Amino acid sequence: MSLTINTTINGQAVSGSAEASTSLLEFLRDTLEYKGTKLCCNTGECGACTIIYNGKPINSCVTMAADANGAQITTIEGLADGDKLHPVQQAFIDTGAVQCGYCTPGYIISVKALLDRTTKPTPEDIEEAVSGNICRCTGYNKIVDAIQLAANRIAGRA
Amino acid sequence: MDYFEPKTLSEALALLETYGAAAKVIAGGTDVMVDIKYKEEPGCLVNIKKIPGLDAIRENGGSLRVGPLVTIRDIETSSIVRERLPVFWESCHQFASLQIRNTATVGGNICRASPSGETLAPLLVLEAKAKLAFATGEKTVPFTSFFQGPGKSSAGVNGLLTEIDVPYPAAGSKGVYLKHAVRGAMDIAMVGVAVLVTPDAAKSGLQGVRIGLGAVAPTPIRATKTEAMLRGKPLTAALVKEAAQMAASESSPISDQRSSAENRRWIVEALTRRGLQQSWRAATGKEVA
Repeated sequence: MSLTINTTINGQAVSGSAEASTSLLEFLRDTLEYKGTKLCCNTGECGACTIIYNGKPINSCVTMAADANGAQITTIEGLADGDKLHPVQQAFIDTGAVQCGYCTPGYIISVKALLDRTTKPTPEDIEEAVSGNICRCTGYNKIVDAIQLAANRIAGRA
Repeated sequence: MDYFEPKTLSEALALLETYGAAAKVIAGGTDVMVDIKYKEEPGCLVNIKKIPGLDAIRENGGSLRVGPLVTIRDIETSSIVRERLPVFWESCHQFASLQIRNTATVGGNICRASPSGETLAPLLVLEAKAKLAFATGEKTVPFTSFFQGPGKSSAGVNGLLTEIDVPYPAAGSKGVYLKHAVRGAMDIAMVGVAVLVTPDAAKSGLQGVRIGLGAVAPTPIRATKTEAMLRGKPLTAALVKEAAQMAASESSPISDQRSSAENRRWIVEALTRRGLQQSWRAATGKEVA
């Protein structure tokens, strides 16, 4: 049974068809060709597929594509302004918070969602925001450094 | 696979009546989508998120009424829950990751009826009730008799949970929810223990005590023999030790990839001991003597 999905991705109205069993991640990657969001565990445990859904970070692999109907979605492709990277993306580069890079889009989306809520995150806020994202290169300290740097830059403190 | 987004409760109930065991109710999807990927597709998926009125938290005299579509994050960020039902709040705070808490619903955690469901031991000790709707009518079931086995509950295949009624504990009561898992975030509990103590007026003995155990039996359970043994007594270190051992003996855990059964019993003992000590301290300002 094919469903028609009308959604908004990175500010643009988009349509496509999906099965009821299609995950939002599969819909984004395979139907709409937004390949920046990554498939990894496919069980909602690793955070590589994190997107912002109506303002909140969620795992797109365990969300129905059908739930994208009428929703506002932000993916990693929506962060940069032309050639100018988003401050969170730039901070990940500047602190060396990227190793193999596979988890990075999910991290950056989780961090963007955090910094949309507050530009003065506490260490507890940072831990909570990215505790659902796994980095198997174990570069966690540099990721935390990147989050602080991005927060400071967004708030005009650095 | 057929797919429906009913707009009313009666429409949803009629679908469940028609499709019976072939129908699967979906809300957040954090469990059901994994089943669809890795187990099997149901004959029919009934997405209940478009039904209005099921996503509110509201105070009702001496209890809090929580809609089944309320997300775990909604509960975690509710000041009323944090203030009036801290044991319930704690289980939602320790629940998976932020991404999952933003999506998963409390009704899904309950109706999944997993022995390790994070919110279940707290709901048992708070003596919360489930309001269920069927095509034939409504009924209210206390959570102490709601869970019938892994994945099985009083909602059956054609009922829907429409509200959770969580009474505020008696004045002076204090409780804790303690979870043992390898990772802080994301991990499923090896053991979860919820404790609620009500001291007597002199704060010298236990007027009442409730102990809920998660992930150590086919359903979440109350340690009722331990509770009965403790009731009315002054809480001493020797009594806490005896109670913790008794709670472990009331559990009937399995061995799986997360833990052996023997290890789970030890953890039940340790968490029950800590839970009683911490709750007693919070309720009386005194250490267990």
